[in-house]
Amino acid sequence: MFAVQANQASARAVVAQKRQVPAAKRASTVARGHSVKLPDGVSAEKLGRDVFNTTYYPKGEDVDMSRKPWVVIDAAGMRLGRMSTAAAKYLRGGNSGSYTPAFNMGVNVIVINADKVEVTGQKAQQKMYYKLGVRGKPGSMKEETYESLFARQPARVVEKAIRGMLPKNRLGRETFTHLKVYAGSDHPHAAQNPTDVTADVAASTHKDGQIVVA
Amino acid sequence: MTRVKRGNVARKRRNKILELNRGYRGSHSTLFRTAQQRTLKALTTAYTDRRKKKRTYRRLWIRRINAAVRTKGTTYSKFIHTMKKDQIMLNRKVLSQLVILDPPSFSTLTK
Repeated sequence: MFAVQANQASARAVVAQKRQVPAAKRASTVARGHSVKLPDGVSAEKLGRDVFNTTYYPKGEDVDMSRKPWVVIDAAGMRLGRMSTAAAKYLRGGNSGSYTPAFNMGVNVIVINADKVEVTGQKAQQKMYYKLGVRGKPGSMKEETYESLFARQPARVVEKAIRGMLPKNRLGRETFTHLKVYAGSDHPHAAQNPTDVTADVAASTHKDGQIVVA
Repeated sequence: MTRVKRGNVARKRRNKILELNRGYRGSHSTLFRTAQQRTLKALTTAYTDRRKKKRTYRRLWIRRINAAVRTKGTTYSKFIHTMKKDQIMLNRKVLSQLVILDPPSFSTLTK
């Protein structure tokens, strides 16, 4: 998979170049607030925060969701769960190197054609959705099959699936608000210029051209 | 025995603990006996968390590297395997910083 021999030299060169940086970095960490006596002839300027050696922590503008890109997934013909994992990953920011679990580093996700999502096997008749009935009283739990809920509100099936894949905490709930699911094939977010990632999602739900069946 | 006044010995002992409890809520920053429980807990957690910190950060670096490497078409495990094979000794912290701060350099490593 890797062209190991050909690019070993270039990678090593990159590494060697990176390793030459230390002198300035060492100086900056020394100068930063610690009263260390530097030997004669060595001067250290205050360079501010050591960005490279401190693990990346996002700033306010990195987290600002109103500036995050939008992404659209066409769920037609996809398996419910497999599509949902991909959507949840986009929502949470799990495909980027600046992923930070404490913040919402994800994108805004639109799912369209939720009424064409599919489940395999007997799930349509056997998968149950439960909810607590009369003020949580025992014995008042309501249950509903996938079929019936899907007939009533197809978007909710997708929403429930994705919500179950996000963390169940304050941040998870806030992340969920950046998911928009629509049963039809149009969405009102054209002004946000969403990029279509259906192909990438489909690639993760397919293995070597075959649909990954549960 | 001569008469011994207790002086400020007790006060100094208690203040040592209360100094550590600045900013704690309610009586946990003012009353010694409630404060002491919180202090002991805090110091113990600080001890274990200094060790946990090393684990947590390594996990974060691995997740970041994994995410970045998967956009390039491999997985973290294969990536690290090739790094070891090529004897590139960059540690995970440096790799994860490269991912964010210097994406072109990171791309050369994934080739």
